[in-house]
Amino acid sequence: MSPQAAYHSEIFRLYFYIVAGLLAVAGLALAFLAWGLKKDVRSIWTTYKAWLVMAPVILGCIFAGRVPTIFFFCLLSALGFKEFARATGLYRDWWTVGVVYLGIAALGITSLVHQPFGEEQGNGWYGYFIVLPVHVIALILFVPIVRNRVAGELQNMSLAILGFIYIGWMFCHLAFMANAMNAYGYLLYVVFATEVNDVAAFTFGKLFGKHPLRSNISPKKTWEGAIGAFAVSMALPWLMRFSFPFFGPWELIFTGLIVGIGGQLGDLSISVIKRDIGIKDMGANIPGHGGILDRIDSLIFVAPIFFHMAGFFYNMR
Amino acid sequence: MNSWQYEPVADLDQPLVERLRRFPREPDITIYALRSLAALAARAWLRVYHRFEIIGAENLPKEGSFIMVANHASHLDAICLLSALPLRKLHRAFPAAAQDYFFVSVPRLAVAAVVVNALPFARKTHIRQSLEICRQLLANPGNILIIFPEGTRSATGEIGAFKGGISLLVAGTSIPVVPCFLEGTFAAWPKGKRFPRPRRLRLHIGKPRAYPTHPTNKESSEHISIDLHQAVLDLMP
Repeated sequence: MSPQAAYHSEIFRLYFYIVAGLLAVAGLALAFLAWGLKKDVRSIWTTYKAWLVMAPVILGCIFAGRVPTIFFFCLLSALGFKEFARATGLYRDWWTVGVVYLGIAALGITSLVHQPFGEEQGNGWYGYFIVLPVHVIALILFVPIVRNRVAGELQNMSLAILGFIYIGWMFCHLAFMANAMNAYGYLLYVVFATEVNDVAAFTFGKLFGKHPLRSNISPKKTWEGAIGAFAVSMALPWLMRFSFPFFGPWELIFTGLIVGIGGQLGDLSISVIKRDIGIKDMGANIPGHGGILDRIDSLIFVAPIFFHMAGFFYNMR
Repeated sequence: MNSWQYEPVADLDQPLVERLRRFPREPDITIYALRSLAALAARAWLRVYHRFEIIGAENLPKEGSFIMVANHASHLDAICLLSALPLRKLHRAFPAAAQDYFFVSVPRLAVAAVVVNALPFARKTHIRQSLEICRQLLANPGNILIIFPEGTRSATGEIGAFKGGISLLVAGTSIPVVPCFLEGTFAAWPKGKRFPRPRRLRLHIGKPRAYPTHPTNKESSEHISIDLHQAVLDLMP
């Protein structure tokens, strides 16, 4: 990955045109709703404006190359974890939070460096990336011992371990994916398809939503939205086949299943956490979306499962 | 089995700018790190560019809360006073800064809240509420309040009369007040200039004083203001 490679990459250019086109079409549709049909679109407008910033940032980082991409996804992961820690109250324990930050930095470093020995080729120290949670959990368990503290430590350690595995390690598979041979296709597809899945769930839910999907967890999500989004996600790999021209029908079906189901799962599992704490959003950093974690939640499941599916059928690097 | 108690931070539902604007601010690892780095850079800058010297550092109380008062002629003042404190006290030192100047535009807010750790003081609208915030701050041991009792930067370099707010804070309490005199900041960076000039800066720190027997009335308040004003003037070489 490099700016030159991105510029000459058919896949990157196609995604660039598709994203720009979709944003333009969505903007025109919103303008038509607002001025033509005199509908109140202010809240969707705020959400849309945030997309106008987020889409160029993501595309820009992937365009800039492998190192900026890895850095960007690790930063997102750290910011997401910070929101999780602030929401649960874990943030007051700076030692434990610091260890998780270190763990996320280690994920970035293992994604950046070369495999130091052994037969594997290519960038990224895959073996250590995969076992990093073992060492980070050991380090988290070490914190109360070093500080000689007991009260509330089980809760802090558990939250830190969940936060690291879930928001750190699982999400950072996106960072490691920058090492793939087909990095542009994989990364752009996963991010694009997951966000399309989110938007589709929202739109179908708005239009046809009646039956709550999980009434205790997220009252606004509906079966209609989930099924609509699932249908879109199953169709999308065939439409966007240029992202991974070597994928056969089975891989395309798996891709659809992973995004369609994983996206919903990610969303719902963050909702479980939010509901248990008793808050609405994880933060307020993205106007119209809530926190960063509210935006990246559906990627958390999709990223590692897609990564290992693609790695199972084709060598990643 | 009891369920877990979650305690979300108080500013969870606020975007970053609002979180910087509120006071007291929730401690934030990134902001503490940035502030420490900025303090190191500022200390190096003062030392090299302004040949900054501190005279009487031993007069600063070693523990407990205290107030530093100084003359005010330049934006360098707060940074000079912060540089006299040990780094570990950096995040507990709060220069009172004009809310109407520092807490409005985002770039100034970023400098005030992140680098200087300023306390928003509503000098024009809510003086009593602002003083109440200062009082609560001083009630916690280990906090340091930095106040420029002139209320604004001097336009001429002369030290203006001290306003009464400081007296309301310390009358009848044993909170030590440390008078400080800043030499050269007006020549280095007067009001209205864009960049500081490489002039020598000196900070003179006087013996702390306290006013435990003063009642909280107008007369004694005037007396405290005049006394502190004189204490700062006396440090002038």
